[in-house]
Amino acid sequence: MVRKLIFSIFRYNPADPSSRPQTKKYKLEETENLNLFVALNKIREEQDPSLQFDFCCRAGICGACAMVINGRPGLACHTKAKDLPADISLMPLPGFKLVGDLSVDTGTWFRSMNEKVESWVHTDKKFDPQAEEERMGNDVAEKIYELERCIECGCCVSACATAQMRDDFLGAVALNRIARFIIDPRDKRQEKEYFEVVGTDQGIFGCMGLLGCEDVCPKHLPLQDQLAFVRRRMGIHALKRILPWKN
Amino acid sequence: MRIDSTVYVPAVSRQAAYLDWLQMFSGICLIIFMYLHALFVASIIFGTGAFNTLADFFEDYYLVQTGGPVIVLIFLVHFILAARKIPFSSGQQKTLWVQSRQLAHRDTWLWVVQVASAMIILLMGSIHMWVVLTDLPITADKSAARIQSGFWLTFFLILLPLVELHVGIGWYRLGVKWGLIKSKARNKVKRFEYYFTGFFILLGLVTLIRFLFVKI
Repeated sequence: MVRKLIFSIFRYNPADPSSRPQTKKYKLEETENLNLFVALNKIREEQDPSLQFDFCCRAGICGACAMVINGRPGLACHTKAKDLPADISLMPLPGFKLVGDLSVDTGTWFRSMNEKVESWVHTDKKFDPQAEEERMGNDVAEKIYELERCIECGCCVSACATAQMRDDFLGAVALNRIARFIIDPRDKRQEKEYFEVVGTDQGIFGCMGLLGCEDVCPKHLPLQDQLAFVRRRMGIHALKRILPWKN
Repeated sequence: MRIDSTVYVPAVSRQAAYLDWLQMFSGICLIIFMYLHALFVASIIFGTGAFNTLADFFEDYYLVQTGGPVIVLIFLVHFILAARKIPFSSGQQKTLWVQSRQLAHRDTWLWVVQVASAMIILLMGSIHMWVVLTDLPITADKSAARIQSGFWLTFFLILLPLVELHVGIGWYRLGVKWGLIKSKARNKVKRFEYYFTGFFILLGLVTLIRFLFVKI
């Protein structure tokens, strides 16, 4: 039997002074292999052209269609209707600036985050386009690549109660970024420089280990282990001042 | 994370790291103490003789007289350190509540349990330590009399599960935060933690029931 899906979708347009936050219901018949990305496009095409939501790649690569699906942050294009009950609630990601309805501005947040943790390889070496690229061990390259897979969708920030309670908390995505540069041999930054960026209560020591990030990450990044890695590195670095033999 | 326009000034202080270490160490001390405490009072199961022998041992070597106040101190320090994370403002509490309900995520709920139990343990634990430490020596008769009065039985029936939940979730969280529990082992360890906590709650209940039947 074909299910009748009922979508309860958050509607609000901050640009329109007469708009009030509300939940609107839309009915849609379930089709085979229906995912939420297709469902939303159908609703917009057939029922309500004013519905705002973001999408780009429809393949879980761009991270634009992240939203709160039945309470959990996730990617609309990754979520199949058959895995959900017939009542589906869709909300915009909390913690980001609302553009309208399900669309949020994650770009400003991520730009600010990347600037804060200086998310680039710091090096003094002059780039020589003629020179052969420096070699890197395969295991290191793979480790870096594993963390580099982050698509900056914002799910981990929205699933983190710490980030929701304290808006100055960096969040798992930033700490994962730092972990990526710590293991990168091309980055000349030392422990001290990393500590200055994340060795605070807004950084790794603000993390309370609730692991919402780990459990919702659509790319299944090893956030739990990376956060622990950064905590150990930063914690031990801080101890070095009082433990003389650690110097 | 807040978006601001100020120029980023690097943190020069290591205070956050030190406080995090201290929170962990005070937590570990209290976890070890609580499990040992549960085992020691459970000696009443083997009769008042066993209980009194243990109590006498700890007093003869001044372990109660010195350890008691130290535990009180660690208890209070742990509260002050952990309070850095506890949401005291109603705004934060509301955010946490809405987030926990919406997300329906076990580990987030476990933290809510830890925070709520912490506040009750702070009050009831203080009362418990005051009552016991101002009425030394500890004897099976005195403990049994307290529990048989009824009031203290209710008191411990509330305090016992809250303490066990708090310390059980506590070591699990320390493990995942510092990487002693890896991602792969997390679910297994979490299940073990439930059984472990269940065992100590049960042990505590048996201890309380045994105290009810001690002839004074």
